[in-house]
Amino acid sequence: MDYNVSVLIEYFPYFIPAAWKTIEVTALGILLGMVLGLLTAFSRLSKNPLFNVPARLYIFMIRGTPLLLQLLFLYFGLRSILNLEAITSAVIALGIHNGAYIAEIFRGAIQSIAVGQMEAARSLGMTYRKAMIRIILPQAFKRAIPPLGNQFIIALKDSSLASAITIKELLLKAQQLASSNYYMMEMLTIAAIFYLFYTSIFTWLFHKIEEKLAVSGSR
Amino acid sequence: MIKVRELEKWFGKLHVLKGIDLDVNPSEVVVIIGASGSGKSTLLRCINFLEKFKKGTVEIDGKVIDKNNEKMKNEMRTHVGMVFQHFNLFPHMTVLQNVIEGPTQVKKISKAKAVEIGKYYLEKVGLSDKEAAYPSMLSGGQKQRVAIARALGMEPSVMLFDEPTSALDPELVGEVLSVMKDLAGEGMTMVVVTHEMGFAREVADRVIYMDDGLIVEEGTPEEIFNNPKVERTQEFLSQIL
Repeated sequence: MDYNVSVLIEYFPYFIPAAWKTIEVTALGILLGMVLGLLTAFSRLSKNPLFNVPARLYIFMIRGTPLLLQLLFLYFGLRSILNLEAITSAVIALGIHNGAYIAEIFRGAIQSIAVGQMEAARSLGMTYRKAMIRIILPQAFKRAIPPLGNQFIIALKDSSLASAITIKELLLKAQQLASSNYYMMEMLTIAAIFYLFYTSIFTWLFHKIEEKLAVSGSR
Repeated sequence: MIKVRELEKWFGKLHVLKGIDLDVNPSEVVVIIGASGSGKSTLLRCINFLEKFKKGTVEIDGKVIDKNNEKMKNEMRTHVGMVFQHFNLFPHMTVLQNVIEGPTQVKKISKAKAVEIGKYYLEKVGLSDKEAAYPSMLSGGQKQRVAIARALGMEPSVMLFDEPTSALDPELVGEVLSVMKDLAGEGMTMVVVTHEMGFAREVADRVIYMDDGLIVEEGTPEEIFNNPKVERTQEFLSQIL
């Protein structure tokens, strides 16, 4: 097998728009996922079945089916009703998918805070809501950082599935170029380099955040 | 100050409090003793409604607290201080922030005034030099003293202590008890659940012995420790003294 290194350099610039597309889908998907995740985590923790039942159902359905299926469902399946653009479908699917996982991350983090913290806050006369905001959530967020970082990296890599609904992100770009220039290995290598670059940035960023939080008061 | 009447509490099928009547007068120090599982901590936690109970009433400062009225319970808690066995300091806040959290967030007094109050109580518990420290940097005894200052920061009319020295290394128990002793000396109304019989004998105005969800015997420290009338009290004391 020939592996042509100079091809890597030659084709690298062609990937830049696709690299942006990957970031766009990932960033918007994560943003939507965070909003959905937080709302769902609180609904899930609520004692009111009006909130916690839909939250459970959402998590059950989304975690129980593949992202690829959800993407196809939203883009092709619901085309006659919603007729969403491919990029919109990709962002929404990635957002809904990650929302379910992020909800469980937040729920776990909130529940991991010792009961005594809530009791101490309530014993000072705080309302449940105030105790949540002032005492529980700041501690829970800190605990959620490592699993959130993990989830963001998964979301980044999962954005490659958007290639199945015609989004020209890194993986689809690599496949398309390879089908015309026959440098399959080289094209996939370029895509891989981009992914590794992104995940390195995520890892570094989360490491910095953890370091910073560790300084301002430990457990 | 505190009037508990016919208080009954179940944990599922377990009947933990079987009808408790308790009166605490202003400036009185009441110490509750008893074996583990006797219901003494649960009783204390029912007084400020951290624990829900099925039957009975709790009256504080002349008001019968409605257990379904969140607002009333929150208001009541602003003048009933509580100190926990495991301190429960807020780990993401400095010592001073821990103490001013209640005054600023619940009583809505200005930060400047709260800091003044906070520093006053930290000095009182002998921790002025630790105000910028985080709880993780303190010893157990220091943590518990901060927790006492935090409760005092709300300027409560009564303080509840739930086994405040049980989680401490033996050499750190003294510093916490000495702060509590000072507090009692200043006329603070206190209800203390503890295994420290020395403290009970020395500081209590009244000692209550609980067993199996009931108050078995109560009286002055001399009466309880020197002449217990009930056989169960005698047995308990002979085991621990």
